[in-house]
Amino acid sequence: MLLETASFLVVRLGGSYMALPADGIRGVLTQAEAGNEHTVTAAGTVYRPVDLAQRLSVAADLSGLEMRIVLYSNGRSHGAIRVDQMVGLADVDRKDCLPLPPQFQRDERNWFGGMMLYQDQLVLMLNPSWALGEMDGVVPVSVGQAEQMVAANPGVVGGSC
Amino acid sequence: MLRTVPGQQHAQAVKRSWNVVVFSVGGMKLAARTEDVGGVSPWTESIPVPSRTPFVQAMLKQDNHLMPVYDLAARLSRTLQGDPLLCLVARHLDGPMAICIDAGMPSLETVDATAIRPNGRGDIETLGSVTIGENDVAIVALQRLGRSRQDAVRS
Repeated sequence: MLLETASFLVVRLGGSYMALPADGIRGVLTQAEAGNEHTVTAAGTVYRPVDLAQRLSVAADLSGLEMRIVLYSNGRSHGAIRVDQMVGLADVDRKDCLPLPPQFQRDERNWFGGMMLYQDQLVLMLNPSWALGEMDGVVPVSVGQAEQMVAANPGVVGGSC
Repeated sequence: MLRTVPGQQHAQAVKRSWNVVVFSVGGMKLAARTEDVGGVSPWTESIPVPSRTPFVQAMLKQDNHLMPVYDLAARLSRTLQGDPLLCLVARHLDGPMAICIDAGMPSLETVDATAIRPNGRGDIETLGSVTIGENDVAIVALQRLGRSRQDAVRS
């Protein structure tokens, strides 16, 4: 049964706030804790680097003191995601998860599953499969397909969370 | 002989004219049908959204409502003028969409439908153009703004 709330880790990357489903988080490290290698190994799992800022064309400052490395896994793929700042954990009512407006038509439909307001900020919900590089070459989900997904899963508003 | 009752005459007169909102973007006068405009309010800072959709790369939060921003000024290669800038809400077929326009307060005009000419400009979706004052003004098709651009991008 679908829970009424979903948990997210909210992070900042450049001027954008983004959220990752909390169930995939395996750790949050500082640069010192992660070491200088590109890949991060923790509890026997190798997390390959994920340059979200470059993939999203976002100007991020990943040299600041608040930079964190989020170790993320969906069970198949494992990534070390560098973000400007960890903002916090949020339990979100599923009804407060909104679909990306249909005017957004291209790759971003694969990047983000939806959006929400958190502490009065717009937060974009990252699609973990895309973030972990599992969707390279996948044609963006059309608005029509997204609507069909919502119809098939009425408990999930906009397929967002 | 058929005679027109006063009510019908009025209805025909209404059909023969369009009510439009005249606004400007970077000094360029544009118009939109009043029914395609959801409102005009002061512009507030938009929130960037990583996006590959041309001219749709931000959201605007008004009260607790979020709507996408269409960068009409960028599409027309214009620089917005005046301060404070204004937000025109377009009643787009896909949902409300915010457009930043020049600071000058828009005006309402009634134009004769027969005076609306086909518009050959390919840089923006229009319903035609009309002469208002001494200006040739394009009537922007706010409902489908960006759609032909999307189609062109896709094909």
